[in-house]
Amino acid sequence: MGGNAVPLLEAVGIRKRFGGVVALDGASLQCQAGEVHALLGANGSGKSTLAKVVTGVVAPDAGEVRIRGRVEKISGPADMDRLRIAAVYQELSLIPQLTVAENVLLNREPTRAGFIHREALWQRAAEVLHRLEQYLDRRLPLHEPVGQLSPADQQLVEIAKALSRDPEILILDEATASLRRHEVDALNQVVRELSAAGTGILFISHRLGEVYELCQRATILRNGRVVGTVDLAETPERDLLRLMTGEDLVLERRGRSRPMSRPVRLRVEGLRVAGCLDEISLEARAGEVVGLGGLQGQGQSDLLRALFGDLPHAAGRVEIDGKPVRLGQPADAIRHGMVLVPGNRGQEGLFMIRSVLENITLPSLAHRSWAGWLSLQRERNAARHMLNRLQVKVGSLDDSVATLSGGNQQKVVVGKWLLTEPKILLLDDPTKGVDVQARNELYRVVEDLRDAGLVVILNSSDDSELLALSDRILVLYEGRVVDELRGERLTEQELVGASLRLGSSDRKEGMSHA
Amino acid sequence: MTSEQRATPSGEMHPGLAQPPLDPNAGALTVRLRRFLTPSAIAYGLVLVLFVVGELLSPGFLSTRQVLNVLRVASFLGIVAAGQTLVVLSGGEGIDLSVGAVMSLAAVMTAHITQGRDALVLQALAQILAVGFALGAVNGVGVAFLRIPPLVMTLGMSGVVQGLTLLYTQGIPKGRAAPILNELVTSPWIGGIPGILVIWLGLAVLMSLLLGRTSFGRRLYAIGANRRAAALSGIHVRPMLVVIYGTSGMLAALAGFLFVGYTTTVFLDIGGDYVLRSVAAVVVGGTSLAGGVGSYTGTVAGSIVLTLLQSILTTLRLGEAARQVIHGLVLVLLLAAYGRQRALRQ
Repeated sequence: MGGNAVPLLEAVGIRKRFGGVVALDGASLQCQAGEVHALLGANGSGKSTLAKVVTGVVAPDAGEVRIRGRVEKISGPADMDRLRIAAVYQELSLIPQLTVAENVLLNREPTRAGFIHREALWQRAAEVLHRLEQYLDRRLPLHEPVGQLSPADQQLVEIAKALSRDPEILILDEATASLRRHEVDALNQVVRELSAAGTGILFISHRLGEVYELCQRATILRNGRVVGTVDLAETPERDLLRLMTGEDLVLERRGRSRPMSRPVRLRVEGLRVAGCLDEISLEARAGEVVGLGGLQGQGQSDLLRALFGDLPHAAGRVEIDGKPVRLGQPADAIRHGMVLVPGNRGQEGLFMIRSVLENITLPSLAHRSWAGWLSLQRERNAARHMLNRLQVKVGSLDDSVATLSGGNQQKVVVGKWLLTEPKILLLDDPTKGVDVQARNELYRVVEDLRDAGLVVILNSSDDSELLALSDRILVLYEGRVVDELRGERLTEQELVGASLRLGSSDRKEGMSHA
Repeated sequence: MTSEQRATPSGEMHPGLAQPPLDPNAGALTVRLRRFLTPSAIAYGLVLVLFVVGELLSPGFLSTRQVLNVLRVASFLGIVAAGQTLVVLSGGEGIDLSVGAVMSLAAVMTAHITQGRDALVLQALAQILAVGFALGAVNGVGVAFLRIPPLVMTLGMSGVVQGLTLLYTQGIPKGRAAPILNELVTSPWIGGIPGILVIWLGLAVLMSLLLGRTSFGRRLYAIGANRRAAALSGIHVRPMLVVIYGTSGMLAALAGFLFVGYTTTVFLDIGGDYVLRSVAAVVVGGTSLAGGVGSYTGTVAGSIVLTLLQSILTTLRLGEAARQVIHGLVLVLLLAAYGRQRALRQ
């Protein structure tokens, strides 16, 4: 990768403004042939916008994109095909009703006499999928409609779709967010093959572990400007975080291991949910953070949803403050002070087209209204107070919640529940897609709530986060609690061991902070 | 979701979709202008334009009497479209195609029950409101509990109600409007304004308060914007849908009741025109067919726009065929313009 060679991909002085917001302010980057180049930055730093300028989805206000030294105007899929650029985004561009094979080769179907040549289509799609499948222990169903697939498999199909274009420049924008560990490994293998063959890869991810594993250099953006391009081999994680946020951030242990003498707030006995949970029993005391660990998808999210009344209980008993409760629907759980911050905030937590004000006040309207009549002044005061408490900066309460960054959106979801003054907070992967700074602020909120005597039940795909926040961790495997870690056993090693104890190699590795 | 959660003037960005090029000079002024140019503001602008066009084509169109007349005709559409607004706002492809049949049944029942006697008017009102709500609530149960798509459910209900109307009348509607009902609609009430307009204004105030100032309104926008998130926020989505569709039926029935005062006699399909026009009024008023965004203030303007359009075409003295073709074309143009408007805004 000679530094003097003409870069495969070069963006120079890109500026982009959306309305009053400057997304990119003269950002530049270079990616050589055969290089895996990371694009890093907190949410809202402009890295996705920069990637979208390269793929022509966003037209820049100023600056230019050069491919192999030539200035190119990229304004659509046709240009991308011509220049052999392919991209995978976190939001999927698949058509749910079409099969896996049809999606992979969408709009490039092999034809015979003007009609789609189905056998050829299946064959070509199978070949492309094989490039991923050879590193997986299973095959993707070629003839299944994509809508029937799990989110992880859909992501894999999306990746295969990009691979099928034989790209010379491949952009992976948070393409691993919904993948499990072994699937990430498979993707990494394919990326290495591509880079060995001379493809330049632009890699965007919040998981620094993956970035170090895969990339050689990184360009770091902050507030739309490039603050540095570094050689990753010579840059420790701490320095990287400092470049991204402009401040030192360390994930230190926050959980407490001292014995709890407070009363039991939540008791679950023999909870069973058809198809995902079996004989779950647990107790949580006031002021306790209980983590749910294990491999991803072993029932952690399902347990939180079942407690929230979003999954029907086949058997079991739940007590809150010593009283048995019936949890048939979320409204029941909310009435008893148990609330859920769901794993997918866009689809389950927020009303994107509605305002910040309406989003944050919705579940607690009854607290401030008289016979359904709202006092707008009290609504605004309550919202403003909560946003201040959670350090969310908003232009106006009436702006749509979609204008906020991922971290601030998540704070709005947390805030809407805090306004209901809950006793038990269920958090399902609360920092997924949240930048480092907002993460730290969310951790502080969790600590405050714990100190105020709430029960927090936390599921996280990030093991280091789980270990740092939890007072103890219940390890789940195939819908059962198989171990409980507390005291000295709260270490990464113990957690890994406990997660794997039933002989699976399917471990989800969290990103390790410095 | 991307890591950059920013709403941009060019909307949600999807890979592979070309975006319209943006004006690099678009600044704070444009933002402010966009905020001011809400769909309902545009609809009111259209009302003014159409009144002026009417005056140019046929002088006297802007006289008080003419304007009041247009508004009086618009009020029936406005009342039907009030229920339609609630249904469309509730999302999930919400639409009520049974409003016309319910309106017809209510009109036929009103004439039948009152038989031209003032004393029976309140009794008729109570009965038709109850029937309207019940029929709408059945729609709501079908949509919310049996998960039947609203289009299918309400279209089917429309057929059922037409059958019920036939059964009720044995094919020949009887009776006529009570004089008091006729007076309510035609003669001036307060300051020369017909009673029907006072009722419509009252309804508009109630609807705006309901949508903007009550928990019910907030929850309605929420279930329209994201039904799953609404359920996970503790909203009882299904009972709410029953109430919403029920209210739509009730308002359609109210429109039928009042319409008898306007026509004085009844026929079997008296409300048939109002189905698609009520949907069009809602859309022209800026309410999103996807649900979750919109207002009744907009629908009021939409109702007036549609009525004005018909009224202007009538004054042109074209043949019925030409009138219908032009009406249809203008409607398509209007709706297309709104579609573009929304794409640019987001």
